[in-house]
Amino acid sequence: MSLASLESSRTEAAQAVSLSGLSKAYGPIEALAPLSLTVAAGETVAILGPSGSGKTTLLLLLSGQLGPSSGAVTLVGREIAQLSPGKELAQLVGMIHQQFDLVPNISALHNVLAGRLGEWGLFKSLVSLVWPQDRPMGMEALARVGVADRAELRAGRLSGGEQQRVAIARLLLQDPAIVLADEPVASLDQARAGEVIRLLVRIARDSGKTLISSMHSVELARAHFDRLIGLRNGIVQFDLPSSQVADDMLLALYDIKGLRRED
Amino acid sequence: MSTVPEIHRFTSIRPPKVTFIGATAIAALGLIVGSWVFVLGADRVQSQPFFSVETLERGGRFLQALLGIGSSSTPAFAQWAAWQDTARLAYQTLAMSVLAIGIAALIALATFMFGASNIMRGELAPYRSWVWGSGFFVVRAFYTFTRAIPELVWAMLIIFMFAPGLLPGALALGIHNAGVLGKLSSEVVEGLDTRPLLALRSSGAGRFQVLAYGVLPQALPRFITYLFYRWELIIRTTIVVGFVAAGGLGLEFRLSMSYFHYTTVTLLLIWYLVLVVAVDLIAAVLRRMAR
Ligand SMILES: Nc1ncnc2c1ncn2[C@@H]1O[C@H](COP(=O)(O)OP(=O)(O)O)[C@@H](O)[C@H]1O
Ligand SMILES: [Mg+2]
Repeated sequence: MSLASLESSRTEAAQAVSLSGLSKAYGPIEALAPLSLTVAAGETVAILGPSGSGKTTLLLLLSGQLGPSSGAVTLVGREIAQLSPGKELAQLVGMIHQQFDLVPNISALHNVLAGRLGEWGLFKSLVSLVWPQDRPMGMEALARVGVADRAELRAGRLSGGEQQRVAIARLLLQDPAIVLADEPVASLDQARAGEVIRLLVRIARDSGKTLISSMHSVELARAHFDRLIGLRNGIVQFDLPSSQVADDMLLALYDIKGLRRED
Repeated sequence: MSTVPEIHRFTSIRPPKVTFIGATAIAALGLIVGSWVFVLGADRVQSQPFFSVETLERGGRFLQALLGIGSSSTPAFAQWAAWQDTARLAYQTLAMSVLAIGIAALIALATFMFGASNIMRGELAPYRSWVWGSGFFVVRAFYTFTRAIPELVWAMLIIFMFAPGLLPGALALGIHNAGVLGKLSSEVVEGLDTRPLLALRSSGAGRFQVLAYGVLPQALPRFITYLFYRWELIIRTTIVVGFVAAGGLGLEFRLSMSYFHYTTVTLLLIWYLVLVVAVDLIAAVLRRMAR
């Protein structure tokens, strides 16, 4: 592993994420073994691994939605445990899930504008439910993800792909330094999945954001991300630039034998 | 799914599995048979048998009286003047029901979020304080109290404070239904999908902003559905509340029964039919608009 050399070659300031001895156990199950790594600002990282390998756990730890059993998460030089949940954390890190990120009964535009709630006071947010505030900003984000024509439709009426695009648009308004995504296209068909991943990666690159996404599709991960991290039973199997990940590594990663039973 | 268990199901002998629906059907059948056995068996105990020539004759005579058969005067429901008189009462009854559902909606809307355990004590709670958490019990106790006391009893109590009329009737109906609506709506909030709410929270929304953007929009359509459903019930219940001098068609119904004006009773029943159908139609239209 060239982890030590990688670490030293990067300056402290350029680090978006730094994990030191981070681990998580749910009771007797060790979901994530102690893990140390850094992610440079602007890097795009895909986390691969079979179901139950700890991908979601890792992302929840990174987003501050879950507390670690040991170790610490440092985001852009600030330790996550010291940040207040809510606005302060939302400026640093935002997250997209596989599904169900949006409020189904309000319009796509309102869902996108909800990315501004951290900036708005309660009164302005209430007014916005009747007269949308910062509307141009919301429309621009919707246009960037290609669903401007869906702005007034209720989010629940949109297709799965459109919903994920709207979730990305909301992240654009939230504007965090680090974007996390937990299998963001797992519920989409192949063509749609490719489009949305391309969009997500392009937007992250264009705006210089750090992107860390768990992926169920190895092909998409290899094609679009800078760096791949392989997780199995909570243990990192490889952590390499995409071009250096060999096929046999991936076969070993998803091999059924020796996989922790999950039920 | 493999087909193996499928084959297995038809060839092997297994003890019959009692499903929830099956158990419900058996219980319902048991209750029906049991209650008829009780009713017919009670004939021997009661002075008046359930089925007898007498009850049939009495029923027939009452029906004739309602229809004005055998009476020399014109039945009320065939008199234009009677229709005009009672139209005013029907309007009052409608007004009472609108006022009542308005009162119920206002109280329920202002409180239902505070009656949801996930907001007051669970993962969506804005404060983890003891005071905030106990607010849940206060609101739920209020719902239980207002709901437990029937509309008629509320009306009898309220009449002591107000002069008899439409307002006390509406208040009685409104208070009872506030408890019903509030409880139903709180339970809607408790059943909401929390994933969009947690996503809002992690995108920087404060806890009250989550209520405004996540909870309220998801709960409101159901709230409105319940509102119209309760309105239809209220229209029918005005007759009961009217009995205790709360006015409208209900009071007139009781008076007509006491004065043996049976054809007027028929007229009033026709008015009820008209009102219930009208409210049904209006509710259907409004529901479609709300959707
Ligand atoms: N809330 C939880 N409570 C108990 N065990 C959990 C919980 N969440 C995840 N796990 C367990 O932790 C392990 C890792 O799960 P997860 O992070 O969801 O993996 P992945 O996202 O890669 O499928 C699994 O064995 C899973 O069963
Ligand atoms: Mg997962």
